Amino acid sequence: MIVLTNIELTVLMSAVLAALMVGSVHLRVNLWLYGATTILIAIATGLTAYPNEEPSLLLIALLIAGLKSIAIPLFLAWTMDRIHVHRDLGALVAPPIAMHSSILLLGLSFLLTQGLPTPSGTGAGWYGASAGISLVLTGLLLMLTRRLAISQIIGFLVIENGIYVFALTQTRGMPLIIEMGILLDVLVGVMLAGLLTFKIQETFEHIDIAKLTDLKD
Amino acid sequence: MITELIHWLFFLLSVLLAPIVILGTIRKTKARLQARRGAPILQAAFDLIRLAQKGETVSSTASWIFRAASTIGLCNVLLISWLVPWLSFAPWAPPADLFLVVYLFAMSRIFTLLAALDTGSAFGAFGASREATLSLLVEPAALLGLVALGATSRTSDLREIFSFTNTHLQMNPAIWLLVGTAIILSSLVELSRMPIDDPTTHLELTMVHEAMILEASGRNLAIIEFTHALRMSVLFGLSVQCFMRAAPAVWKLPEIIQAMITIIGLLTIAMAVGVFESLAVKLQWRRIPEFIAYAITMSLLAALIAVAGGIV
Repeated sequence: MIVLTNIELTVLMSAVLAALMVGSVHLRVNLWLYGATTILIAIATGLTAYPNEEPSLLLIALLIAGLKSIAIPLFLAWTMDRIHVHRDLGALVAPPIAMHSSILLLGLSFLLTQGLPTPSGTGAGWYGASAGISLVLTGLLLMLTRRLAISQIIGFLVIENGIYVFALTQTRGMPLIIEMGILLDVLVGVMLAGLLTFKIQETFEHIDIAKLTDLKD
Repeated sequence: MITELIHWLFFLLSVLLAPIVILGTIRKTKARLQARRGAPILQAAFDLIRLAQKGETVSSTASWIFRAASTIGLCNVLLISWLVPWLSFAPWAPPADLFLVVYLFAMSRIFTLLAALDTGSAFGAFGASREATLSLLVEPAALLGLVALGATSRTSDLREIFSFTNTHLQMNPAIWLLVGTAIILSSLVELSRMPIDDPTTHLELTMVHEAMILEASGRNLAIIEFTHALRMSVLFGLSVQCFMRAAPAVWKLPEIIQAMITIIGLLTIAMAVGVFESLAVKLQWRRIPEFIAYAITMSLLAALIAVAGGIV
């Protein structure tokens, strides 16, 4: 019987939500689930603040909730409306199968992390690490099995979340300035990628990355 | 002896009443959300009585299977309702292996399919074909979820898994919630309810269950309708049992309060289904695997938890 702390529970739930994201082809549902995933990660960050005595983590939690889980999905939803793209039919693997494999990857990362040395004294050890690795793998799967540029951005964001969760659960929290720098990078990255998507749509009249290698005359 | 009698009494009462009340509640909720007054809750019972009094037409090409199938289906579901712990109170019953129960469900489905094919009507055939496809997709979800429960509680007897004296699963809310969700999602498919099939239309493009029973009439139809409703109450009841066991406090409550929670839970699920059916749009036939995939995912997660040894 495994007993989880609140932090471990929230990050594992965010990993499960990210896995559910792979199963839906509606980009809007994906964005909603991404928002929910990130809110859970923000809550986990807030919960980490108390045992580690790092009040600055509370500020970071607020920033994550505001920027990553509200501003970025809204921006991407706005981009989707502008270029009239709402559904990604997927490539290579059908979305349901991809979702099942991401659940299996969750189990795999659970097995993998049992062999990892875990630093003592942090809020969440093994299970936090397995949630982080699972988020990275899920994001990778999302990027591999989707065709549209918007989905690539979402997959990238999930990977970023995974790396953040891994760092959060394995350390005593990073300095505020680094966290804010990363957040800014992510925001700018998504902005640029969104604008690029918009430009790709304007030039090629589609955002299907499978067809981007075709020459345009 | 007396408690056993009371159990039998309440059990028979719920087998008779639960299907009608649950069907009535779903219809009432839908009517209310469409700003209609709706039929009385017991309308399903009046419908059954009306059907039973009507004459019956049987196609001249139909064999004995056509009329026997509905009776076999009813007996099958009555047996299932006796074996499966879908109420928190139940009379004595022999041990019910979970594989037995899953394949009893499959058996009643087979006879529905045979009856649909028997008359040789095109509607029956495509209804049967669709139903066979759906059952193929939904079976792993239900089976995997129940096996996950069984593996955690070290038994494959469904009664033992759901008994309140079995402490393996007492402090294990996650697995109960996941299996409950998996059962409710797969029962929506199994019972051909809203996102899969609209039970109120007879449009040939969409119907699954209705297409199969199109040839049935009179008493035969009454039996089929009641069987379907009873199957619905058993499946919804099973998911209610899963959900209520997720709260560790429920395990120690006296039996009468558990029974009340069961009844309230059944009505809540019926209302939730009604609300969902008013809001949801019927899925395209090709997109149905995506819906079922979520049920399988819930079961997979439950199986992962079972492998990990249970998570609090």
